[in-house]
Amino acid sequence: MKGPLRAFAAHVLPPAAALVLALLMWEAWVQWRDVSILVVPPPSAVAERFFERPGFFWREGGWTLYEATLGLLLGSAVAIGLAVVMAHSTLAERTLFPLAIIVKVTPLVAVAPVLVILLGFGTTPKVVVAALLSFFPMLLNAMTGFRDVNPGALQFLRSLRASPWQVFWKLRVPSAQPYLLVALKITYPLALIGAVVAEWFTGDRGLGLVIFSANYNLDTPTLFAAIGVLAMTGVSINVLLSLVERRLLFWHESVRSTR
Amino acid sequence: MAAVLHHVSLSNLSHVFRDGRSPLSALEAVGLAVPPGQFTSVIGPSGCGKSTLLRIVGGLLKPSAGTVLLSGRPPQAAQREREIGFVFQDPALLPWRSVLANIRLPLEIDHLERRRRLPDPEQLLDLVGLSDFRDYYPHQLSGGMQQRVAIARALAFNPALLLMDEPFGALDEITRSAMRYELLRIWEAHPGPAGRKTVLFVTHSIQEAVVMSDRVVVLTSRPGSVRADIDIELPRPRTEEMERTQPFLDYVYYLRNLLKEAPL
Ligand SMILES: Nc1ncnc2c1ncn2[C@@H]1O[C@H](COP(=O)(O)OP(=O)(O)OP(=O)(O)O)[C@@H](O)[C@H]1O
Ligand SMILES: [Mg+2]
Repeated sequence: MKGPLRAFAAHVLPPAAALVLALLMWEAWVQWRDVSILVVPPPSAVAERFFERPGFFWREGGWTLYEATLGLLLGSAVAIGLAVVMAHSTLAERTLFPLAIIVKVTPLVAVAPVLVILLGFGTTPKVVVAALLSFFPMLLNAMTGFRDVNPGALQFLRSLRASPWQVFWKLRVPSAQPYLLVALKITYPLALIGAVVAEWFTGDRGLGLVIFSANYNLDTPTLFAAIGVLAMTGVSINVLLSLVERRLLFWHESVRSTR
Repeated sequence: MAAVLHHVSLSNLSHVFRDGRSPLSALEAVGLAVPPGQFTSVIGPSGCGKSTLLRIVGGLLKPSAGTVLLSGRPPQAAQREREIGFVFQDPALLPWRSVLANIRLPLEIDHLERRRRLPDPEQLLDLVGLSDFRDYYPHQLSGGMQQRVAIARALAFNPALLLMDEPFGALDEITRSAMRYELLRIWEAHPGPAGRKTVLFVTHSIQEAVVMSDRVVVLTSRPGSVRADIDIELPRPRTEEMERTQPFLDYVYYLRNLLKEAPL
């Protein structure tokens, strides 16, 4: 039982301590300077608001997580599909990559209202915005990942006349795994942001709505509680992804070097 | 006619790389005929086209001019029959696969078992002395052990032709010397379908070439062509003691001088 405990002490305690310290300093600062609650609420007021109705925050957070996840899946699926095509054909890359860059440089916050008008309320606009935000990092990582194969292993497979299909599944997909996981660590939080922004404009549910209306009502404790739930969700996702990474990529330098 | 008797026959083989800024001639008019079962080393200055030559023989690269025949057929035909085993300087194992799974990889590419009697992967592991490591992953092995896995992997289809591109180049001198005799032992203990496997072995080490080979081919500097082709008439099995005998030292001395004179 020593191992897990020590791991807990090494990985969880330091950031938790830092967080507690930061919250204490924040609380002290607000009390000492007598900062108005309309500007920055003390953490105690935020916690109080959260524990008044935790079910509400988790439910709205659940909506946001659900939309973000669907959007992430959609964006990733399209990105990976395109990456497969581009990794195999320079012509496809030259044709499609500029289009992908257009998606990347479009300011999504500006596009979101248009999407809402276009797609109406409900799940669709949030999923689409989340997908758009998570699309590009996944595309870049997947493209690099599918190409970053050991040249010797590739030659060996070619010398055996492996089909492109076999090369893909036996070499390219496993080689891309580290890239895909890094991409997920970037795109999952982006998808959350995308969902929140879309909720903001559709204003029917989710943390985006909570933040929007709290802002409107100058209800800063609710605002901060919603942000806190969002942050917690993001941290949990990252922890989860790190666990998956350790499991799946035991063979990769990135994991081995931290052992 | 004679070509059919030879396992590898290259005639007038040239290769020019055209993907760089200016065309780069890597090989020029290489001619070579290797009978079945011969262990042939290829040495030459760095960049003279040894790897290029091996890739052409293995069908991974189409030569700009000249012909390659493997037992009278183009390399692609030999590839299709899985008659070529490749070992590179970098073992190039798949790090997410265990040792045994790496050796099984070729069998997953093609299910040849039905057509040909293939060595059992476990036996191959035994042959390279890694039975105890079957479930280990490449990162848990030393460089020499990884290279032995790569050799076992190349033997998976029991190929008649082994192409080895500086397989021991990344190893330290002591491991390297041990691996030479290890490979010779494997070569002698593990004949192909028709007697000993033919081996084309690229190396930078003159010593290594003489220890291992029946024949050493010396290439000129780039563009590579055959500068000398000498038979090594030392008895087999080769031993480490032999490396101190006069005939051995004479070969080494002779080859060293040849390489020194290699024109730039
Ligand atoms: N894919 C390629 N594109 C362009 N030029 C290449 C390519 N591969 C090799 N060359 C060039 O061809 C020449 C021969 O290369 P090759 O790798 O065959 O040399 P080598 O004899 O194996 O060298 P070394 O002993 O250092 O391994 C070199 O000058 C190299 O720059
Ligand atoms: Mg080389």
